[in-house]
Amino acid sequence: MSPHENRPREDGLPQDPQDMKLMIHALVDGELDAAAALAVERRMAADPELAAEHARLVALRGALANVPRPAVSDDFLARIAVIAEVKDPEVAEATQAEDVRVEAQPSVPQQQQGQVIAMRPRASRWFNSFDWRQMAASIALTAFLASGATQWLTTADNGADSFAVAVANGHRRSLLAATPVDIVSSDRHTVKPWLDGRIGVSPAAPDMAKDGYALLGGRVEVIGDRPMPALVYRHHEHLITLVAAPRQNEAKSVPVADDLSAGGFLLVHWTDDAFSYWAISDAERPALDDFVARFRAAIIANPAAGSPG
Amino acid sequence: MAGAPDGGTVLSEKMLAARFAEVVLPHLGDALSLARWLTGNQVDAEDVVQEACLKAHAGIAGFVGGNPRAWLLTIVRNASYTWMARNRPRSVIAVGDLADLDDVSPPPDNDADSPEAVLIAKANSAAVEAAIARLPQAFRETVVLRDINGLSYREIATMLGVPQGTVMSRLARARGLLMTELGGRHEPA
Repeated sequence: MSPHENRPREDGLPQDPQDMKLMIHALVDGELDAAAALAVERRMAADPELAAEHARLVALRGALANVPRPAVSDDFLARIAVIAEVKDPEVAEATQAEDVRVEAQPSVPQQQQGQVIAMRPRASRWFNSFDWRQMAASIALTAFLASGATQWLTTADNGADSFAVAVANGHRRSLLAATPVDIVSSDRHTVKPWLDGRIGVSPAAPDMAKDGYALLGGRVEVIGDRPMPALVYRHHEHLITLVAAPRQNEAKSVPVADDLSAGGFLLVHWTDDAFSYWAISDAERPALDDFVARFRAAIIANPAAGSPG
Repeated sequence: MAGAPDGGTVLSEKMLAARFAEVVLPHLGDALSLARWLTGNQVDAEDVVQEACLKAHAGIAGFVGGNPRAWLLTIVRNASYTWMARNRPRSVIAVGDLADLDDVSPPPDNDADSPEAVLIAKANSAAVEAAIARLPQAFRETVVLRDINGLSYREIATMLGVPQGTVMSRLARARGLLMTELGGRHEPA
């Protein structure tokens, strides 16, 4: 294999054909920034072999996306939920000590063997080793978890925090639901009227697909008894939910975006004249910040699209 | 002995339960997918994920933000390999010893025209699953973490403890094998 006799190119991409292929993968995976993506697309346009590789990759991606995912059965969810059950102190302590020991020495076989055997036979063991109160508690806990822990958490926390938690729960529910949106459209002229028709308010819904944030659609979130519009954007593999709470008179203005986190998700909160915005995602912080910056810029550029209904 | 195992922060059990519900439970589907592909079947996957969740619960106080899915999947991956070493010692290949895998010649890309892409797109999911199952372990976990669990290159590199470039080349190799299999000799499964 003699190296290709390419003159060095100006686009900053690798000369080696194997490495260049990795760039095609990275493009398909959404791992390239806009400049690199553009350069790769130009190379593809000039090189049918790269274009064919790209087509194959996109096809493979589709095929992999269609592989059925294992379902989380109710039985299994109950098995897992019971782990976090509030146990009586002695048992809890013993289990925790055990877990810590296992964590510390992952290669001790006997110890773990015992643990697995204890777990295997599900139902019968449960009845033997748990009394009915624990069974009842675990069932209650499962039901509680399944219905979302919003209520309990809202009362445990104060104002802004509980709102953030509620936003996080809404976002999480949307990730678990069959579809994260109630109205599927990348066109704000469809999303806005739909939200207006449902709840009488709608925020600006710019499509920022060219920036890497495609508008998927919208849905209605109910937070603290109030229905609120939520927009859903996609950034690579991540979904970003943007809840726009119509601004109350007494609400304090937060012109500078406020970085928060809740429920394992990252949040950004800011307020403009009309709405109090909460953006939430499992994307990385820089991506979320970038989204917020672009969204705010888009609204300022086209304020007409942002009037409250 | 009675000291708090969580190194400092003692959260109430209720808080821990709430955190567990927020960080772990939403990603059980992903956890099951990964464990299913690492162990080879669904029943073992449930046991592995249960074991992983016990560890996740014990370590939940140490979760400091970031991507909860990547955090849980790291634990699931470790639990999978521990489980494999215990239950199927013969099937585990030394994860560090990949030199031989790197010698596997890349798949030929003969025809630049794409009837192949059409075949790949049409492959039924049984054929796709069989092709994934036949991949060498290191390639399989990389492609599953990326294309099924949706982690980023960086998250995968952190999880596997390898450079991002290694993730990229394993991914390309894995996909190359899948594409050859699904696009080349496409037999009804």
